[in-house]
Amino acid sequence: MNLGTRKILDRSFSAVGIGSIAVMGIALLIVIVPIVHNGLGAVFFTETIEHRNMLYNEFGKGDKAELDKENAAAEAYRKEAYSLLARFETEMETMEPERQQEFRSKYGPVQTALRHLIGPLPGDEEAILTRYRYGQTRWEKAEEKLHELLYEAKWDYSDPNAMAKEYFVSRAAEFEGTSLVKLFPYVENNLDKMLRPRFTIYWGFLTDSSVDSHIFGGIWPEIQGTFFLAVGAMLFAFPLGVIAAIYFTEYARDGFFTSMLRSANSTLAGVPSIVFGLFGLAFFINTLKVSESKSVLAGSLTLAIMILPTIIRAAEEAILSVPKTYKEASLSLGSTKWNTIMTVILPAALPGILTGGVISLGRAAGETAPIIFTAAVSVGSAIGIADVLSSPTPALSWNIYNLASEHEAAAEIRHVQYGMVLALVSIVLLLNLSAILLRARISKKLKG
Amino acid sequence: MKTEHRCSGNDTEINSIVMSEDVRKESGRSGAFVVSAGKRKFQKFAKRVGESTLLLIASFVAIVVFFIFYFVAVDAVPYFQARGFAEFFTSTDWYPADEPGKFGALAIIYGSLMVTLGSTLLAVPMGVSAAICLSDILPFSVRQYAKPVIEMLAAIPSVAFGFFALVIFAPLLQTQGGPILMWAWWVLAAPFLLLAIIVISDLLTANIEDQSRRQLMSTTLLVVFGAAALGFLYWVGSVLRQIEIMSGTNALNVSIILSFMALPTIVSVSEDALQAVGRELREGSYALGSTRAETIVRTVLPAASSGILAAVILGVMRALGETMVVWMASGNSSHIPEPWFNYLEAVRTLTATIAGDMGEADQVTGSARYHVLFAMGLFLLVISFFSNLVSERIVVRQRKILSGQ
Repeated sequence: MNLGTRKILDRSFSAVGIGSIAVMGIALLIVIVPIVHNGLGAVFFTETIEHRNMLYNEFGKGDKAELDKENAAAEAYRKEAYSLLARFETEMETMEPERQQEFRSKYGPVQTALRHLIGPLPGDEEAILTRYRYGQTRWEKAEEKLHELLYEAKWDYSDPNAMAKEYFVSRAAEFEGTSLVKLFPYVENNLDKMLRPRFTIYWGFLTDSSVDSHIFGGIWPEIQGTFFLAVGAMLFAFPLGVIAAIYFTEYARDGFFTSMLRSANSTLAGVPSIVFGLFGLAFFINTLKVSESKSVLAGSLTLAIMILPTIIRAAEEAILSVPKTYKEASLSLGSTKWNTIMTVILPAALPGILTGGVISLGRAAGETAPIIFTAAVSVGSAIGIADVLSSPTPALSWNIYNLASEHEAAAEIRHVQYGMVLALVSIVLLLNLSAILLRARISKKLKG
Repeated sequence: MKTEHRCSGNDTEINSIVMSEDVRKESGRSGAFVVSAGKRKFQKFAKRVGESTLLLIASFVAIVVFFIFYFVAVDAVPYFQARGFAEFFTSTDWYPADEPGKFGALAIIYGSLMVTLGSTLLAVPMGVSAAICLSDILPFSVRQYAKPVIEMLAAIPSVAFGFFALVIFAPLLQTQGGPILMWAWWVLAAPFLLLAIIVISDLLTANIEDQSRRQLMSTTLLVVFGAAALGFLYWVGSVLRQIEIMSGTNALNVSIILSFMALPTIVSVSEDALQAVGRELREGSYALGSTRAETIVRTVLPAASSGILAAVILGVMRALGETMVVWMASGNSSHIPEPWFNYLEAVRTLTATIAGDMGEADQVTGSARYHVLFAMGLFLLVISFFSNLVSERIVVRQRKILSGQ
């Protein structure tokens, strides 16, 4: 081969490697950026008066006097819309039956769309579900709903070979010649006066419990559940893991038994996470009966088994990286082996052990599969510390799945889902980041 | 005064120095130092007890592994006893809710294999080249910043990846699938085709002695091949552009996401394997006039091949055992795609079936529907056990070979 070609090959070889790392970095950005951007939207957004009403009625937050003043101002503009509706209803009465029938079927969706936009209409019964008691609480959602009010979505099935296409028909055109025509431009032009949008920072998203299965409110029960589960797992796994690591590094002699234990450790690290869930269900709940059914305790125990190998490995590495001279100095001063381990080796290895612990804590917080059958429920309020032994809990990871895949109004509450994902990802990444910083400090210290 | 040095184990550490009665002191700290015969006995006993406690706690891991196998198997066996092995492994009819239920898991096993294979095909080339880049190409200062990126990729919870796949990636594939495939094809294939053309035209003209004629020949070949390659790229690209993806939740989506989840494992384990190949091999190769690429491909990679194989096995296991992403974004339809390699169809995997069906299975009385999920778990467990064993043996052997040199 030509020298030039060899050089080109060499360069492109490097380029492929750098490219791969760049692809990983870009993939990380592509995943993280929309999650951060949309997730922040759960806290920082433009709220409507409906949101302020909801906060006052459900959580008792806000200033009653000011809210009443605002409601009165909004009501002034809403009244005009209501009167347009009323005028159209009386107009319908006078129509001949066939035409009336036609308009009646078209009028229902208009009412529904308006209810979605600005809340219950006058004369409606008090709704049982909280979600129907308020209009749109977020301004960008209100704009979407406005589109639904102004245009009717229809599907075009004319081409049997292609997928059906969606197209929109103006409702104003459908009601041409009736008094309702005026409603659509009126709502379009005065929507901001009816809903009074205002930018807000809703910290309650992190500290409030949810209302009507996450249609409104915050994610505190999930954050708390995740905290209980992860910390519970650490309480079991951390001491066990560190002691096992001490045994492996200081006491174990090379032999069949030790190598078997090591194999068991790596086997445990490789078990698929869903199998841990099955085991937790079959062993902790059905056999040991640590609780009646799902509970935080059963979930924590399952997670503890899952993170145990990681903790053992990290602790082993940390203990092995303590310079041998430390140990020798301590022993030569007459200290016993156990004394040396407790007073010299462990303190020196502690930052490294903690690094592994922090990473495992993040992993326990982020796992979903092991807690599906052992600890997680979809809806529920925050549980007290006394209930951890017997009751299940909502958790961030499980509720992200549940809200995104199984919630009946999944598309309506994307902001809650994004907010939850952001909360979980930032918990895990912050833990990892602190571990990385901790490790950087250790390696600096060990270098002298 | 009599001083006794006792040596224990392989170390030459001093465990206790026993002195005669008259210099004996009774204080906490020096208790380890100067003790009576009775206390020595007690210490010995305490040491035994302590060590066996440590051993007991360390063997906890082995006990847990045994328990996992036992309890998953205990709930899996009733299924096989009642229905045998044939239906599970050969039938594609998965109707667990029917009466009597049909439990053919072949399509589900196939779905698992399909997404695992897809993610492996994507992750292994990328992971190995990234590992090479980290261990041999990048200078240390850059490497410091590249490693946290990989660690962060590993740290992101699987449910967050699943959410991304379901809410962002799937709609994108559904609406922009054709153009995305076309762009991916251009970006991936164009550089490699260009390289191949350069190498081929160089090899074909290698026998021509006259330098200027050779130059001319290779330039002409470059232009001819280049035009042909461009046409090929454009043709495949336009075919891909025409593809309409019916549903964004399909095997392709899941394979791509899973490959990024398997990447960190593959990168870090193969980087360790590459680092384990000593400097001497590399320097020898450089001394013989190889370029860096030739050194890595012909010398370092063969020496590290077994370690890289272990990395691949671990990466494959990560993809096979992943639950949330496949549950949320694979479409969960238990049939073998038509044709069998069609990655644009929805599939269903073992892990997603376990997670999804357990809620409906009767947990208390233990119906066949409940036990079949444990059978799937046992199947996964056995596969992961043997893969782990194999990869571990490989790593140990490589370490032995490399240290023996």
